[in-house]
Amino acid sequence: MTAGMSMTQRTEWAVLATPMVAFLLLFLGLPTILNLIYSVSEVRFETLRSPTLTGLQNYAAALSDPAFWRATWFSTRFAVVTATLQCVIGLALAIFLHPLLRERSWAVGILMMPLMVAPALVGLMYRLVLHEFVGPVPHYAYAFLGWSPSFLSGATVFWTLVVIESLQWTPFAFLLFHMAYSAIPAELREAGLVDGAGPFDFLRFVELPLMVPTLVIAFFIRFIDGFRVFDNIFVLVGSGPGGSTASLSIYIYESFFRQGAIGRAVAASVILFITSFAVLWVLTRLAARRKS
Amino acid sequence: MKRVITSGLASTVAVVAMLGAACAADAAVTVVGWPGGPEETALRAVVEIYNAKGDVAAEDQVEVIFFSREGFWEKLQADLAAGTDAFDVNLLATYSIGRYAPFMEPIELSDEAEAVFGEAVLSTMQFEGAQYGVPTDLSLHFLYYRTDLIDELLADEAAHERYAEIAQAHLGEALTPKAPDDWTWDDYAATALYFTQAVNPESPTRYGTVLQMRNLLFNMMVWHSLPRSYGGDWMDEDGTITVDSEAYRRGLEVYKMLLDAGATPADSLAYEYAEANAAFSSGQVAAMLQWNAAAGELMDPATAPVTSDVTATVAPPTGPDGRFTHIHGLGFGLNANAANPDGARAFLAWLSTEEAALAYALNSGAPALTPEVVAKVAEERPDLVQLGAYAGAYGFVMRGATSAEALSVYELQAREFTGHWAGTQDLDTALANVEAGMAELLQ
Repeated sequence: MTAGMSMTQRTEWAVLATPMVAFLLLFLGLPTILNLIYSVSEVRFETLRSPTLTGLQNYAAALSDPAFWRATWFSTRFAVVTATLQCVIGLALAIFLHPLLRERSWAVGILMMPLMVAPALVGLMYRLVLHEFVGPVPHYAYAFLGWSPSFLSGATVFWTLVVIESLQWTPFAFLLFHMAYSAIPAELREAGLVDGAGPFDFLRFVELPLMVPTLVIAFFIRFIDGFRVFDNIFVLVGSGPGGSTASLSIYIYESFFRQGAIGRAVAASVILFITSFAVLWVLTRLAARRKS
Repeated sequence: MKRVITSGLASTVAVVAMLGAACAADAAVTVVGWPGGPEETALRAVVEIYNAKGDVAAEDQVEVIFFSREGFWEKLQADLAAGTDAFDVNLLATYSIGRYAPFMEPIELSDEAEAVFGEAVLSTMQFEGAQYGVPTDLSLHFLYYRTDLIDELLADEAAHERYAEIAQAHLGEALTPKAPDDWTWDDYAATALYFTQAVNPESPTRYGTVLQMRNLLFNMMVWHSLPRSYGGDWMDEDGTITVDSEAYRRGLEVYKMLLDAGATPADSLAYEYAEANAAFSSGQVAAMLQWNAAAGELMDPATAPVTSDVTATVAPPTGPDGRFTHIHGLGFGLNANAANPDGARAFLAWLSTEEAALAYALNSGAPALTPEVVAKVAEERPDLVQLGAYAGAYGFVMRGATSAEALSVYELQAREFTGHWAGTQDLDTALANVEAGMAELLQ
């Protein structure tokens, strides 16, 4: 009877899981296989259904393209700077605002509002906000200071993008840190006070070590988001003068659609995938080692 | 459990059946248009006229759909390459015909087409000798300038000395002010510098001009009129790439000099059509090169209250090799996988008649019409007379700019030349990179 029930259950689970498995195979498995084929093929829009295998030429083309390395450098620098900024500011806000938010938790919702705006819309919004003749920021800078700042010139555009990205995504890091900080048992704080620990010592030697896993996760998520950034930069400044603001995602998009270099674009995306997977694997190993 | 599975399957089958029935019933001619501007208004108007005709069968009625402008051509290319039959008629442009031709079919125009548009305009929709589209909108560039500022400068003898000093300092020649219709590119640059507060603190405007220098293929089209007037072209008759030339160097240097001198906003490296219009209509810019499509916005008191009544247009400045304006056309052609090709062909043939062209013109479109035809709407659309005249007298297309790789060439030039303007690479490197890239793309 028990064996019969198990068989029925297995059948039911198989039937229920089939749509999801089919969905994953169709929408993730098939494109992955196609990508791998295209990445080792000579392929154009006219020959999408009949690519010609050419070996690793597309990988060589991507790796020898200065624009690929420029985009890799931009993505890496952007991801490190924005993830660091967001984590530092988010952590500071979580600790500084903790007494207030403990009493008025609804205020967290207000701080989360930037997250609700689509990144592409953020790019569009700042195209208006920063425009010298219609944007409020340059208008008031000129009206009160007689100074007409340039936010999107070659010299300033990177840092403008960093600020915009950080303004939108710092609340995400803040939310993680707020939850982690709130989860530290009150007894620990009381014990620290009894032992005579000052607030900075307590933060440094007790609270921060307890928050390290959250810090690592937050940094990792923000790093990945910063590394693959596309929407807001693309809408605000495109790939920038000389390709100076082209992230790897923008490089892949432009190679594929605008230059018609489908093989090179797909090869670059495979390289990106392998690299991301390697970073994830290393981090997972480090986390496992720390846990053990 | 069985009941759940049976219900699920039955629901799925029902939904699929309903979708299939809906598709089967949908036999109209579907047209993908250029969204959000006068082109959309004009297309909707002519479609309404066409659908109201008694001899258009119910299954050949036309319906229009629109993508967003952002990434329009990429989305269209992906759809065409995927063999979609979701639309029968699609937009195409002079610079993209070569890329889309493999997924489209040549069409037959009406007998009136040549008399309505003229051979030169029809050729903007041709690829390898075949007609792929009906030309509906022609785009070229005007020099927009402030009449009040220029008139004052021309009348003020005392200002001429200051003007000459500025020209001597930046251009190596003491120029005197002229009327915009007589400007060379040096006159344009000198005037732009004169009306720049960073150069001339007495200037009534903050900037003398506003340049569109964003890394964008359309901005290359605006800029191309400059090197062309110095004899620049993409390639010579033998197919040799000729971009590394004095003409291109001159054009690049003029833009960089104006940017470095502060004659255009420092953020011009992120500017395109909309940003330039906003700058000009703020009243803080004296002159700019811009698409003809902006005329309506810049000369309408409702959208440009500060400057509309003191804004005028002429053709772009002249150079040693003549006066030029880059032209390209938008039009409609036939998807090779059209679900209703006969209905689509009938609509396209009608679209090339005088009736359709005049209706398109009277509803905000910008077709380039022959003098005989445009005369019929000259009162309502005087700008179309100017459009046709400039296209005929100064219009040019770079050699190779209708090839399958034309879009990629524009993209390549935009990336390399904006890099030079931003100071991230020198002129020789930018030109060498473009030459090498174009040789790979076009040869």
